[in-house]
Amino acid sequence: MGALNFLYAFLMLLLVFIFQTTLTGLNRKVTARLQKRYGARWYQQFLDIFKALRKDSTSHGWVFDFGVIMALGGIMATVTFIPVAGFRAFPGTDNVFVISYLLAVGMLGMAMSAAGSGNPWASIGVGRALTNMLAYDIPLMVVIFTMIFAFDSASVGQLAEMQQGMGILGWNFFRMPLGGIVAVIALLGMLGKKPFDSFIAPAEIASGPMVEYGGKHLGFMFILHEFMTFIEVSLIINLFFGGGATIWEYMLKYAILYTFTNIISGVMPRFKIDQAVKYFYRVPLAMAIIQGLVVIFTGLGVTIWF
Amino acid sequence: MNLNLVIIVSVAFAIAAYLVSKVNDKAGAFMTVAGSMFALVTVFLLRNSIGSEISFLYFNFNLTVTGWYFSLVMLTAYSMTAFFNPFWMKKLIYPAGYNFLYLLSMAGTLGVFFAKDFITLFVFWETVVWSSAFIIQMGKSRQAAYVYYVISAIGSMATLFAIMFAYGTTGTFVINEAFKGLAGYPGRAIVIFITFIAAGMAKIGIFPFHVWLPSAHGSAPHTFSPVLSGGLVKMGAFVALLSVTAFPAYEIFKDMASFRGIPLPIYFMMALGAISIVAGTLMAIKQEDAKKLLAYSSVANGGYILIGLLMLDQVGFAGGMMHIVNHAVASAAAFLSIAAVAYRTGTTKMSEMGGMIHRMPVTYLVYLIAIISMAGIPPMGGFVSKWLIFQGLADKGLIFLATTAFFGSIGSFLYVFRPLSAVFLGQTFTRDLEKKEVGFFMMFPMLILTLLSLLTGVFPNIFLRVVVEIQSAFGMLPVTLAENTIVTSNGFLDAFRVFIVFGFGFAIAFVLFVIRRKSRKVELMDTFTSAEFIHTRELLHYSHSFYAPFERLYEKAPDTMKLYHKAAVKINELGNMAESAFFGIRPARTVLLVMGMVLIVIIAGGVL
Repeated sequence: MGALNFLYAFLMLLLVFIFQTTLTGLNRKVTARLQKRYGARWYQQFLDIFKALRKDSTSHGWVFDFGVIMALGGIMATVTFIPVAGFRAFPGTDNVFVISYLLAVGMLGMAMSAAGSGNPWASIGVGRALTNMLAYDIPLMVVIFTMIFAFDSASVGQLAEMQQGMGILGWNFFRMPLGGIVAVIALLGMLGKKPFDSFIAPAEIASGPMVEYGGKHLGFMFILHEFMTFIEVSLIINLFFGGGATIWEYMLKYAILYTFTNIISGVMPRFKIDQAVKYFYRVPLAMAIIQGLVVIFTGLGVTIWF
Repeated sequence: MNLNLVIIVSVAFAIAAYLVSKVNDKAGAFMTVAGSMFALVTVFLLRNSIGSEISFLYFNFNLTVTGWYFSLVMLTAYSMTAFFNPFWMKKLIYPAGYNFLYLLSMAGTLGVFFAKDFITLFVFWETVVWSSAFIIQMGKSRQAAYVYYVISAIGSMATLFAIMFAYGTTGTFVINEAFKGLAGYPGRAIVIFITFIAAGMAKIGIFPFHVWLPSAHGSAPHTFSPVLSGGLVKMGAFVALLSVTAFPAYEIFKDMASFRGIPLPIYFMMALGAISIVAGTLMAIKQEDAKKLLAYSSVANGGYILIGLLMLDQVGFAGGMMHIVNHAVASAAAFLSIAAVAYRTGTTKMSEMGGMIHRMPVTYLVYLIAIISMAGIPPMGGFVSKWLIFQGLADKGLIFLATTAFFGSIGSFLYVFRPLSAVFLGQTFTRDLEKKEVGFFMMFPMLILTLLSLLTGVFPNIFLRVVVEIQSAFGMLPVTLAENTIVTSNGFLDAFRVFIVFGFGFAIAFVLFVIRRKSRKVELMDTFTSAEFIHTRELLHYSHSFYAPFERLYEKAPDTMKLYHKAAVKINELGNMAESAFFGIRPARTVLLVMGMVLIVIIAGGVL
């Protein structure tokens, strides 16, 4: 782990930020078209972030600031662990449990900062966000567990490479179809897309975790959101859609999956938070466990089977 | 210095602490610090004499590396918590008794961990149970001590039965020999396995014995809860360990039906561990008292330890052993920080506090690090052990246990965040505005435990090397360790590298934050309130039933304690019926009836 790795990591962060923010901007346009609006320009998301960073901000004490830094720091560290089309900024750190739990550092920082603002609305939002996490993460983890059992590897990069070179049917999404569907549903929950967006409450600014943020704090939260989206979508791309043999293939798959979640989100109503929990524990969890039992007891899905 | 002397001196310290406390209770409390620190240092130095055997009076000790490992964990919890004792003397009814029992129970645990035969094990076990039961009743509720004692007694009696049964079968009390001789009797072995492990299950708080933890941890004196959760619970883990290593459970049950290579009796125990994880997590989420919440989290973590240990493999077992250290350190630190807050505010109810971070920042950081470890988030120790357990489960394909383990792991984010948000974050209550941070003497043990959490997370191999020795001692394939890396068949973890990269991310974020324009500091009450005018700090703090929508989903779930009460009422009724039958108006009729039934049984038995 030399200086070069850190340089790679820094460049990776920069590129990921540009790529994901552009994609977010384009997707604002897609959502707008779904709703028969014209929509903002593709670079509007950049303007929003830089505007927020330039503005004055207020702080509610040191934990309000510290939480924001810890959140962005943890999330950026997680981004550098993500393998992208065979590239790894820090080789040997792409263990799936490390990634999914290091992501939690960022979330804890965000929750801490929001609750530290002293606004009860923010605390309510955090409570919902954590409940939402408890809902979507269990089915997803069960599927990932099945995959580790099947392929004897917990490295995200290796799991992605194992699916390559066999055509589209080599993807885990087709080898383990139930698990694949669960993963895409869980991705909607992770990204906070409808029908699982009640914790961010984007339509009711005053009752989400973001209520007290402004200026550079809000700018940080925007950046953090872009990075977090990248981590979550990348996990699913690598684990279920074969990653990418080249960077272009990876980006194409990524853009398609991300746009797909946005289109779903554009036409969905919203679950209340307890409905989301009920839903995840009834349908996706059952599917995930059935998929797991099939793989563990029959071996179906370890090799290409249709 | 040998083990005998350590135990004798510890008991001597206990008696001295009692006598000194009669004159000056604070001085007596300092004796507990001295006594526990002495034991910690001397036991640590026993490292070189591992493998030797010592006898003393009727007791036989065997210095194993397992015992050494467990006693260090236990003594860390005892010695660090002892620093809080001097500040609680005024709040206890019997300070002298407290100090005496504190050190006596500590000496008892040493005897348990190094016991060579069952008699030694049992005598010292009971010493710990009795002395801790008397300490618990000095807290808020006597009921808690009863519950603790009854549950412990059920476990102890079951164990006594197992010991006697094993003795009757093999004719020896020496733990290893008695259990090894059971290989020829699989039928008896099952009974002995289940009854022997019962004491451990009761102590570690595995479902359905978990009811004592919340009441005992929640209402014990604030200075004893860290010991209970960080230390004494691990005695149960020790018994669970004995029941798969000294008792060769996998060998004896190897011909029985199994699920993915785990014989059913062992799988059944692991399933109980899984139930504890789910029940502990769900109950912890809805607690309103910080100490009760942490107590339920101990139930859940006990489940992880049990599952890890019972796997008895290369990876999962190492995870279970590692989790013993991590949970002891993290839970002791969390309980101590709550105790420190309670020392200033006088309460552990989460809805009666808020915003303590602005008054007690160090205590807050201690709690934060503790919960990061407890929730299994890198770069703290809890992550490493949970990672090992997950890898072990994934390797074996134990899908149901894994599902509960994931549930407990994500669920822990929910419950550990509650005290963080309710006690430390949010609005500071008006009456707490003038409160101060605790003094250095109380801060010191909390900081040591915090550093330990970080150490186990960044350099886990220091601890895992001892685990490797333990695994080799039991003849298992030990977990593979490279310089900084833990290697399993499914992947590897370089905890130090994760820590460095996290530091890198944090540094970038920090620089970004600092170079932007400085933000204006505003009062906590200066928040967006939808144009309402709220001037009462307490009203602007959201802490009561934090996860209300989620709690609503399982509010109708049965309460184990209520079921026990119902069973008690039924048994009482049964007794009353028997009493009225024999001592009612016509006892002769009952006697005739019983005699008739006995006769029928005898005749039926003869015919068959």
